[in-house]
Amino acid sequence: MRYLSEEKLEGKPMNKTEYLNRLSNELGHMPYGDVKDIMQSIEEHFDAGVSEGRSEAEIAESLGDPKELANEFKDGAKFNQIMKRRKKVDGGRDGTGRIFVVVFNIFVGVGMWLVLLAAIIAALCILGVDLGIIGVIVASMIMGKITEFIVPFIFLLLTLICVAIFLVILLILGIKYYGKGLKAYIRWNRHVWNYGLGED
Amino acid sequence: MNSQIKKGILDLCVLALLEQGDSYGYDLAGSLARKVEVADGTVYPILRKLASEGVVSTYLQESQNGPPRKYYHLTDSGRRKLNSDREEWLKFCGEVNEILERGETGGKADE
Repeated sequence: MRYLSEEKLEGKPMNKTEYLNRLSNELGHMPYGDVKDIMQSIEEHFDAGVSEGRSEAEIAESLGDPKELANEFKDGAKFNQIMKRRKKVDGGRDGTGRIFVVVFNIFVGVGMWLVLLAAIIAALCILGVDLGIIGVIVASMIMGKITEFIVPFIFLLLTLICVAIFLVILLILGIKYYGKGLKAYIRWNRHVWNYGLGED
Repeated sequence: MNSQIKKGILDLCVLALLEQGDSYGYDLAGSLARKVEVADGTVYPILRKLASEGVVSTYLQESQNGPPRKYYHLTDSGRRKLNSDREEWLKFCGEVNEILERGETGGKADE
């Protein structure tokens, strides 16, 4: 009766390792600490039985189908999570958190980050052009091609240098916070994906 | 026996077993499975649930042979829960028995 749901293993005795492996597989994506705790309990059960002279196969059979046992553990965990008002199972199960992440990214998230990236690239281009003009003016001055309007050219040069410095500062800060912001944004997405939209 | 009814009442059975003194998983599994027809493993998810509710606490104790065992202890709130649930269950059983026995003797519900 205990193996009815498992055609493959019907009536086939398992040893301790096989039983624990099956159980751990069936527990699926339960938190690691919980799985470890459960495994320890069942392992202890085997050890106690063996010390009483029972065989591993016998103990495994009386423990019941590992799949059924895993489901009972999962039901218990679900109950705990409801009791603790934790959102993880709800967010994961009903999928609203995941749908939100996908929709938000399609319409807002990805677009926003692309616009910001475009702004940074644009600033880089402007800086490039700016430095180019500065280079041309300096080169022309050195080669003595500019004979008239020297004072206005110097003013223009100073202005362009100021713009370049401003852009460099802006880009350094921009890239730094773009990285930080993107990281935080990804973290937030992952949280919503796993835990759903909630207070915590 | 219907598994749904059994499931609901097993928590109470485990609490009652612990009322007789602290015990470890293997021992509790044996005590339960000897009386009620359930797999030995059934006791472990129940113990986990009871522990997370705070009606049962756990501690490790050395065993004569092998590694230390996890012992389960009935807390004060567990004792309170056991007493009130037991009373409720026995009252319910009495009522049900009354109905069933009356059915058996062939009499109807009239006095």
